[in-house]
Amino acid sequence: MTLKKLTVLPTGTEILLPAGSPLTEVEYETPERLIPFGCRSGSCGACVIEVLEGSGHLGEPDPDELDFLEDLGRTGGSHRLACQCRLRGDATVRVADDI
Amino acid sequence: MPNRVTNAGYGDRTPFLTATASAALRAEIDKQLDQQVLEWYANVPEAAHLEGKNVDSAYYKRHLIETAWRIRLLRVAEAKALVEIAKRSPEAAQVWANYEQEEMLHDELFIADLEKVGVSREQFLDTEPYLSTKLLSGYFSYLLDHEGPLGVVAYSYLVEYVNVKLEPKKLQALKESVGESNIGGQINHSHTDINDDHPGEVWAAVRHLLRSEDDIAAFKRYLREHQRILAQYFEELYLDTIAGAEKQPA
Repeated sequence: MTLKKLTVLPTGTEILLPAGSPLTEVEYETPERLIPFGCRSGSCGACVIEVLEGSGHLGEPDPDELDFLEDLGRTGGSHRLACQCRLRGDATVRVADDI
Repeated sequence: MPNRVTNAGYGDRTPFLTATASAALRAEIDKQLDQQVLEWYANVPEAAHLEGKNVDSAYYKRHLIETAWRIRLLRVAEAKALVEIAKRSPEAAQVWANYEQEEMLHDELFIADLEKVGVSREQFLDTEPYLSTKLLSGYFSYLLDHEGPLGVVAYSYLVEYVNVKLEPKKLQALKESVGESNIGGQINHSHTDINDDHPGEVWAAVRHLLRSEDDIAAFKRYLREHQRILAQYFEELYLDTIAGAEKQPA
């Protein structure tokens, strides 16, 4: 089993997850609420993150996610909905509230 | 005064298994299923019939009829399972609801393929399911009433795992024996299972329902029990079609 590292800023908490794990797993790996997940289905926008490193390691966003991020004013390509991401390689993210 | 509300999915939401432990257990379960598949081919009469070159017409048609009935009967029990899952884990319930949404109308895919080989919707509806198909549905009801939803979800993991692993080989054979234009519904069904990663979806629900080592042991038993009931169905199908035809006087 291959483990990949997710670093969540601003705390800098590092979490190891099996490759391909959904980022919603973060909630169960630590008692801290590092990412504020809401609907977990890509429709509420609670879990917007900025991807600082490893953007290619979180899976490709589908058109619905890109449309919604645009509606939220998160244009530019560095933002994702964490609940729609899977950790396929090491990555560093920052939750939107802290951007 | 204490709060009397229970079964709302609150409390400790931390899964019994970490992400790493969940992945390790899934690999162990998949090994068990690989072994079960070997036992299936060794013990079930005509287990590989649909993978062969000469497909018995009655066997094929009745198998599609029973498959459509099985989906129709089990979706009722699986909808009831959603209620029980929601009481235990809203996270698992969300995953299960999404899975059921994708599976809910898949009986139509098999009915469409039936029509391609000359079995009308009316003929399908006039055909009462086999006893083994009814008993599988009854087992689901028993599980929900007396053991909980884990056993129902276990059935879906078994079926999805086996489908993704074996269905492409079977469909390739059916393209040759029955004709690609006649099995479009089954091809579409297989696309959903594979492209939507249905084994992964169901496992995500399983992971949240496992709360103890006893649950893990029960899950493994459910996988074996479901296979035994499905084997009874395939035996009933064989006896009613291929074996029945062989007994007919020349």
